[in-house]
Amino acid sequence: MFYRVGQLIPVFAGLLFAAGSATAAGTGSVKTGKLVYERYCLSCHGAEGNGQGEAAEYMAVKPRDYRQGTYKWRTTPSGSLPLDSDLEHTLLNGLHGTYMPTWRALDQRSRRDVISYIKTFSPRFATEKPQDPIVIPPDPGYSDASVARGTAVYKKYNCSQCHGPGGQGDGPSAHELKDDWGNAIVPYDLTKGHVKCGDQSTDIYRVFMTGLAGTPMPTFADSMSSADAWDLVHFIQSLSPGYAKNMMAAAADRKTGATQ
Amino acid sequence: MTGKGSLRVMLQVALFAVVTFVFVSPASAIPAFARKYSLRCTACHEAWPVLNDFGRNFRDNGYQLRLGKDDTVTAEPGYWPVAVHVLPSYTYTKVTNQPTDQGTKTLGSGGVGDASIDLLMAGVLTPNISFLVVPTGFASDGNVHLESYWAYFSRVIKNSDWLNIRIGQFEMDLPASSHRNLEMTDSYLLYSYHPSVPGGANISAYDMGENQRGIEIVGHDRDSLTRYAISVFSAHDSLGSSNGLSSPSFYGHLQKYFRFNEGPVSQFELGVWGALANYPTQFLTSGGTPIPGSGSHLQSSTRYGMEANLWLGPLVAPLHLDLVYGHGKDKQDLFAGTADRAGTFNGGFLEAIWVPPTDLLHWSVFGRYDVIRNQNQPLIAAPANFNDQNQWTLGMKYTIAYSIRDEVALHAEVSSNKAKGVGDGGLDQRTDSIMFGVDFVY
Ligand code: HEC
Ligand code: HEC
Repeated sequence: MFYRVGQLIPVFAGLLFAAGSATAAGTGSVKTGKLVYERYCLSCHGAEGNGQGEAAEYMAVKPRDYRQGTYKWRTTPSGSLPLDSDLEHTLLNGLHGTYMPTWRALDQRSRRDVISYIKTFSPRFATEKPQDPIVIPPDPGYSDASVARGTAVYKKYNCSQCHGPGGQGDGPSAHELKDDWGNAIVPYDLTKGHVKCGDQSTDIYRVFMTGLAGTPMPTFADSMSSADAWDLVHFIQSLSPGYAKNMMAAAADRKTGATQ
Repeated sequence: MTGKGSLRVMLQVALFAVVTFVFVSPASAIPAFARKYSLRCTACHEAWPVLNDFGRNFRDNGYQLRLGKDDTVTAEPGYWPVAVHVLPSYTYTKVTNQPTDQGTKTLGSGGVGDASIDLLMAGVLTPNISFLVVPTGFASDGNVHLESYWAYFSRVIKNSDWLNIRIGQFEMDLPASSHRNLEMTDSYLLYSYHPSVPGGANISAYDMGENQRGIEIVGHDRDSLTRYAISVFSAHDSLGSSNGLSSPSFYGHLQKYFRFNEGPVSQFELGVWGALANYPTQFLTSGGTPIPGSGSHLQSSTRYGMEANLWLGPLVAPLHLDLVYGHGKDKQDLFAGTADRAGTFNGGFLEAIWVPPTDLLHWSVFGRYDVIRNQNQPLIAAPANFNDQNQWTLGMKYTIAYSIRDEVALHAEVSSNKAKGVGDGGLDQRTDSIMFGVDFVY
């Protein structure tokens, strides 16, 4: 009996090499991406990609329903599909304060594969091309003067309607907001020292220059100059010392990180 | 093997259907984390309980994902950091060349063994301070002991991942964990082997795979692709010396992972490791019996070596090969006056874990080949190959169900060990085992 089991080894060895599947540079493999999805993402985003995994019921902020191709964190203009690099940025950073973890411990191939796979849940990716990303001019630098100007921009664009005068997410409209999927949604508390996705100042900039698709958070790209937008970033950063700390950590990460 | 022999094995196999509770060596996968973070066990485990890259990074980070949902206050109110692990199984083991009053015999025994469980308690106490406590036992003998208990301080200096400190009783940072491995019927020979004098004693009971009490310093880069671990501990099972540490011992491990964005190899790892475990060899006595804590003349068991890991195919469903080589030496005085010289040996293993790329990753197939070759027998007159060993294991695990709360799997395994000259009358001894179990953790 034991000898015979030993003889099975070559049979297994043959089977083993059926496992490898090569990935073309740049784009991921949908086939492998499905396995990545099943291993890491399925419990929240669901087998059908509808955001209704076994864990979703208990979550206040629901996992993304991928079927509409609606993604909040993009560098592309309002209404556009995201770039693959936008989705990768989300996977590398996670979404702070939600159940969506960071996936930077995975290898880049796995991330690319799963991105290719989640795109298959929405027919839009087959028929539409993402638009060109918005241009983000370099950060002119944090200063008290910029913060003061940013305070005025915050008032001018009536951000406080939702985010409240102090940015704590308690504006007059805050309690009646719904997202595109019909779930109640609260304006993010800007005094936490984090936005959900990313710790660089460009991550804050793109939020109001592209809008968060599927949520009441609009884009201001049509009416706001980039100088105003940077002042607004600095105003938000002045709301908590956490921003500067997290930004420095993110910069150190980029220097040493193998993957970003 | 004869037809009658196979029939007997078949009958043993049939017994598997009558499952009551038995416990084989404890292994940890911690569904309390799955519950807390709403992840399936596959997120952290390549093939549970073996950790993958995400799991290794999570552990290195003090069981934190660091996105504001780690500590007890921000975690879901329903979360309670406890999980139970049980592996009811049937095992049959046959050992050749055993001495009996009726002469040299092959003895076999099997059954569904005595029940025992692991309570896995782990979590984050406050940001950057985490813990693990594992009471093990609860079998019919009523004994319970703490297999592990430690607190871990992450990012001790200025938000750097390069200095984290663990204190308590913990597993060394081994080239392959002996608490989170797939094999159940045998252990890594390299970790536990000692050169021996036939029929003689060895004061050193050092087992690399056994948890030790002490302090560990761990450092790693952001993604845990370069890591080190250094521990200082009091060797387990020692009577104790009069030093500050009862048997001051050291272990170190350094490893680096390399990733490839193209080609059949997705990841490669290289590592070096070494251990020096000291045991006192002279004692004050009382009525002839050594007085604990009075030992002196420390003598060492040293082990050092290197490892290489290779992941073929996609990392998510890889063929993972792990090759570990080590050299060991037990000093002459550890043999309590019975040896002519120090005992030395070389050993290692090649382990393979394959996760077939099937839907939902239900399967894992694993195997290992262990080798021990003595270099210098402590007794010059002993046969040069005395207690040289070869061992192989082959197994399969099928996870019936994964969820964010529990997992349950069927586990089947065969293994065989052959040791030179340790049987009755200096004959070789062979130990064959077969095991079927239901592995579940909730
Ligand atoms: C533990 C639950 C959980 C797991 C596991 C999980 N996610 Fe998410 N994910 C979420 C939640 C919750 C959101 C929505 C957060 C929000 O909108 O604020 C989300 C959102 C996303 C988004 C949308 C970002 C955007 O711009 O709108 C992407 C893309 C995504 N997840 C990808 C993944 C991938 C890929 C995996 C597996 C590698 C994964 N997620 C695993 C919970 C999870
Ligand atoms: C109609 C209500 C509304 C208005 C007006 C509004 N926001 Fe928002 N904002 C939201 C909501 C809702 C969210 C949360 C989206 C989410 O978490 O998915 C949000 C999120 C944000 C975030 C956090 C994004 C992240 O990545 O976590 C920032 C920054 C922000 N808003 C800035 C602004 C600024 C600046 C203005 C004014 C120029 C503004 N918002 C106007 C509703 C609004």
